[in-house]
Amino acid sequence: MNERISALMDGELGDREAGHAIADLETTAEARETWRTYHLISDAMRDARVLSPGFADRVAQRLAQEPTVLAPRRLKPESAPRIALPAAAAASVAGVALVGWLAFAPRQDAVVAQAPAKPPAAAAQVATVPLPSGTPDYLFAHQGFSPRVSLQGMAPYARTVSSQANEGRR
Amino acid sequence: MLARALALVIAASATFAQAQPPEALAWLRKVHDATQGLSYKGTFVYQQDGRTETSRITRYAGPGGGTEKLEVMDGVPREIVRTREGVRCYFPDSQVVKVDRRTPERDFPGLLPERVTALARYYELSLGGRHRVAGFECQEIVLKPKDDLRYGQRLYADTRTGMLLKAVTVDAAGRPIEQFTFTELTLGGVTKDMVKPRHSAASWRIEDAAAAPAQLPGWSLSRELPGFRKVVELKRRLGEARPVGQMVYSDGLAAVSVFIEPLEGRPSVRTGLASMGAIHIYTREVADHMVTVVGEAPALSVQRIADAVEYRRPQQ
Repeated sequence: MNERISALMDGELGDREAGHAIADLETTAEARETWRTYHLISDAMRDARVLSPGFADRVAQRLAQEPTVLAPRRLKPESAPRIALPAAAAASVAGVALVGWLAFAPRQDAVVAQAPAKPPAAAAQVATVPLPSGTPDYLFAHQGFSPRVSLQGMAPYARTVSSQANEGRR
Repeated sequence: MLARALALVIAASATFAQAQPPEALAWLRKVHDATQGLSYKGTFVYQQDGRTETSRITRYAGPGGGTEKLEVMDGVPREIVRTREGVRCYFPDSQVVKVDRRTPERDFPGLLPERVTALARYYELSLGGRHRVAGFECQEIVLKPKDDLRYGQRLYADTRTGMLLKAVTVDAAGRPIEQFTFTELTLGGVTKDMVKPRHSAASWRIEDAAAAPAQLPGWSLSRELPGFRKVVELKRRLGEARPVGQMVYSDGLAAVSVFIEPLEGRPSVRTGLASMGAIHIYTREVADHMVTVVGEAPALSVQRIADAVEYRRPQQ
């Protein structure tokens, strides 16, 4: 059952299997607990700082502010029509949507908390410069520490070569 | 509530690791083991930004670790040999050999099998379809990043041995940034002689990195990037003699290096971002030092790490 819920979270189930998983969520408290737990862990795993001192307060704040606004909105366009289930199941979808939203709330909050002082758009404003003259040396020094070498062998070292070739042509 | 949440996380974290599709994790381990264990010989192309470059790679799996040789067929002639002693890079045109030794206290941190599971924190792992690459029936393994701070990967591994035939780095929208593809590969049949360097290099100039673990007093990141942890901090030489500090941050798949070198009368640093395939390089000046951040990560990540580099005079 846990695996099915995990797959549901990852959007990997077909409509029929999703229906079964949702039925599980509807009927068993254990399934609902698993759903909540997975989301909480998934949030926490993203960044340990999710559990910073302000974590609980921020969650509480968000819950106090918004629950009635977002829950109905998630219901209609997405869940209900796509999984064409009887009314009872649709009601359970509503329940799931709410639980799902509650579980996701900390994540949204956490993202806000993690966001740098600078907006992400800052990357676009950055000056683009040619590759530094020492690029092959930097790459050679860096490459040995890339975990990809243990999946790809030495292939990533070919990158160093590209810029070397590049430099030769200039 | 905080304590309860913590307890919950600890109690269930093992369950979470299993929640990732076990087949995809098993495939990653299979690729990892094949990379360390097989002997092979082949030709691959590296493609990025409309450029294609061909290299020949030969690996001999012997007792006590393998030896691997990479020969570049395009541009400046170059040969790189990796043994358990370290990496040597030969430039016949300029008669230079660059040496990066491996020392007992400074191992090259690979992607260990137990760390494969940790990848699941920042990437969604799944299996794609079956594809033929260079005559091999391959299984596609997809690593989709959970945020925009890292690139995704699509890996294609031989269904029989796990040997990686193709690796595509993709951006958040799934567009390819760069790719490595074998065009021809033979498994086995490699002798030790085939991985020996072509050049004796006896009279060549040696540029030894002399890398050694070291603290870089006063240097740190004011804010680490989610998922990227410091894996090593060392001093080394770059090129002919420049001494630099290097700090490496990794999320288990991607790595970002921070190089710190004294300006020492050099003209001021040109701040900005340079790119080459999946590699981004961001340079800026901090406390009379040139800071160069190099990594196979999106520009945003490299820049955020660079912007976080700070120097605080150590307390005497």
